[in-house]
Amino acid sequence: MADAVLVAIVDDDESMRQSLPDLVSKFGFRVRTFTSAEEFLASDCVGQTKCLILDFAMPGMSGPDLQRELSRRGQTIPIVFITGQPDQDLRRQLLAEGAVECLFKPFSAAALREALNTALGVN
Amino acid sequence: MVPDVLAALKRQETLMAEIERVSSTGGFCWHPATGTMTCTDEVYRILELDATVPVTLQLMGTRIHPEDLALLDDMFEKASAQASEFEYQLRLRTDRVKYLLVSARRGEDPDDQALYIGAIQDVTRRRLSEDALGTLRCELARLARVSSLGALTASIAHEVNQPLAGIMINASTCLELLSSDPPDLDAARETALRTIRDTERACEVIARLRGLFGKRGGKTESVDLNGAAREVIALSLSELHRRQVTLRTELAADLPLITGDRVQLQQVILNLLLNAAEAMIPIEDRPRQLLIRTEFDAADQARLTVQDSGVGFEPQEAPRLFEAFYTTKSGGMGIGLSVSRSIIETHGGRLWAELNAGPGATFAFSVPTRGNTCDAPSRGGVPLADSEPLMRRA
Repeated sequence: MADAVLVAIVDDDESMRQSLPDLVSKFGFRVRTFTSAEEFLASDCVGQTKCLILDFAMPGMSGPDLQRELSRRGQTIPIVFITGQPDQDLRRQLLAEGAVECLFKPFSAAALREALNTALGVN
Repeated sequence: MVPDVLAALKRQETLMAEIERVSSTGGFCWHPATGTMTCTDEVYRILELDATVPVTLQLMGTRIHPEDLALLDDMFEKASAQASEFEYQLRLRTDRVKYLLVSARRGEDPDDQALYIGAIQDVTRRRLSEDALGTLRCELARLARVSSLGALTASIAHEVNQPLAGIMINASTCLELLSSDPPDLDAARETALRTIRDTERACEVIARLRGLFGKRGGKTESVDLNGAAREVIALSLSELHRRQVTLRTELAADLPLITGDRVQLQQVILNLLLNAAEAMIPIEDRPRQLLIRTEFDAADQARLTVQDSGVGFEPQEAPRLFEAFYTTKSGGMGIGLSVSRSIIETHGGRLWAELNAGPGATFAFSVPTRGNTCDAPSRGGVPLADSEPLMRRA
């Protein structure tokens, strides 16, 4: 798996950090999880991450804050937002700002797989 | 001369009878040693007794509501112990509810024997309107709760969707693991356990919501203020995150229990918390910080403080903040703070607001702890009934 594509998950919710990695691994990706945007930025994964599964609302730096920070640093990591707020306006806004997808929790495994494939340019 | 005096006495008596009638108050003189009782006509009318029969404590007993008979015994014991005065609220055993207020003071007859001179007043109308007011206050408090439920909709959706997402992902992963060749049973078992745990988490959210917003009467119980605050914080957390508010809590470890209505106190905490979050929406040039602190203060009261870094309020607004229907918010009804103050006062406590030395405001309340005398919540399980008038208008 060492050469598998790295997907990073940033979510303050523990049950997401426990459940998502198993599923994403089953899709054939390598996974790392982070409890906050700050923790992700401080890690050595930023340069290797090929796709970011990012929670929208988090204490401290929010998902969109991280998106802006990455773009300021010139890092173009495709982002799949996940959020517990089923807000269509929010989704449109995130997509307009460059996110690949914005999934409302609870989302299906198929929807997540499709979003990851789109993010990584896989058909 | 004599006929004049008699006529004057007669006029006096007619006047007294009229006053008794107008005030629904009858007078009595009771001799505990002999059991004899002298009553005015109004007493007979209030007790609905035949005016030709002499009133005794036993006869009175036949007119009292069975549940209040113990009070009559108590009154007799007080008199035997030569109490200097007493006062009781009794219900009558009649077709419709009738409330009496009996009060008396000890005196002595010419032979130095104790006797009690007192009044029996029909306070039915007052009691019924007090009860109606209590019910109305409870409904208003519930309305305020429901309106804060509206403010929390997004937060609640988030709290429920989070475990639902976990359930969906775990179940999907479980299927994937079972359909691999060979099936990875250990990992599948792990995802099934996580599914159960997330379901329990969703149930806890629903239980908290039912506890906070369900229709119920006032209830008096021992309340752990820290626990009550933690539950409210758990429900509001994502609302705070959504508004980019950083929350800090400093909950005193040794806070004694208080006596009161847990849900109503949580309503006050929720209200203060949502107000603080709202006051910070316009703030862009400094951190939106919220501090919730509990402590055992110098006056032996349990105190809860909510401090924000929001827009604060104008010093001249301070006296009006707690008035009903006073609001500075476009979508607000202006009942949150007035209901909150009413709830805290019913608990024998105090709710106040002050401006911070720096930016923002601090709202705090303190309530007596169980060790102290707290004669608050009460009558008929409707704690709001004894409080200050709810609708205070300037």
